Amino acid sequence: MNKMEERLWSYIDGSCSEDEQKAVSILIAQDEAYRLKYEELMAFNRQLSKMEMDEPSMAFTYNVMEDIRAEYAQKPLKAMIDKRIIKGIFLFFIFTILLLLIYSLATVHLSGTKSGMHLPDSVKLPDIKKYFTAPVIKGFLFFDVVLGLFLFDAYLRKRSVSKQL
Amino acid sequence: MQSKLSDIELIEQTLGGNQAAYADLVKRHQRFVFTLAMRFSKSREDAEEIAQDCFIKAYRSLAAFQRQSKFSTWLYSIVYTTAMTFLRKKRVDTDSIDDENTYIQLENQASGLDNNLAENKSRSYYLNKAIGQLLPDDAAIITLFYMGEQSLEEIGKTMDMEANTVKVKLFRARQRLKEKLELSLKDEVKELI
Repeated sequence: MNKMEERLWSYIDGSCSEDEQKAVSILIAQDEAYRLKYEELMAFNRQLSKMEMDEPSMAFTYNVMEDIRAEYAQKPLKAMIDKRIIKGIFLFFIFTILLLLIYSLATVHLSGTKSGMHLPDSVKLPDIKKYFTAPVIKGFLFFDVVLGLFLFDAYLRKRSVSKQL
Repeated sequence: MQSKLSDIELIEQTLGGNQAAYADLVKRHQRFVFTLAMRFSKSREDAEEIAQDCFIKAYRSLAAFQRQSKFSTWLYSIVYTTAMTFLRKKRVDTDSIDDENTYIQLENQASGLDNNLAENKSRSYYLNKAIGQLLPDDAAIITLFYMGEQSLEEIGKTMDMEANTVKVKLFRARQRLKEKLELSLKDEVKELI
């Protein structure tokens, strides 16, 4: 019985192979038990297809949008959706800073200072001027420009969102 | 009036900052999402809470929607997960129809209905009532297949199952539903199926 129902449901749903489809249709045509069961299941299937959906309250969409507005009032969606972008920017800065640091340390030659102050011979201060080489300053400026653009972009986004509201 | 734009176009507009587009998406899918939530919660208030929660979750992760499947399939998977979490939290009684207590309840329900059977006799009414008495998974599979017009593969994605498992579960769910109808309507079922 179960096997028959199983075959018939697969036939009705169209989830069986073509050969099986043909075999079942022959059985329905020739076997009375199959035919009766098929008609019963088809009637049940039609009934299920006609089921009506439930209706939420009239204010449903409004409530959803109100919740979203409250949650996202100050945040533009695109700025917060993909955290990978934020991570990427963060990694880029870290990488740049590390690169600069390594480069600076590699090119620095520590030596004593010649100033009016006389420190004990055992204490040697690094030459700060040597840290400010052309590449370092360029890197620093580049970092500042990128950071400035990033903050300017954030400011513009904030302004466009407040205009929309 | 609902938008004629496709789901994907509405998603694009939403991601571009147009919240009205998302409101159109909500309007388009709210009935089914609410119906699916009703299969788990049994109360309109809870179902509405689940449905609202789902749409807010979907909005939050809209950018993560891969577009490899239909938006509805993706949305229904959120509904399924949210509803299951809700069930775990609320510890709703999900006993099977075979459970003795449920059987007694059904007997009482059927006899209570006898008096005003004529007034209430609506095919949809009895069917929805019987579905409401199924296990949440069974009710969800039937709802997704017949109301959500989802294929076995899509239901599999929604419920995180193999398509073959869904096929077997759908077969069993329909059998249980038939049994429930027979049980709750007794002689009346013959007229219905």
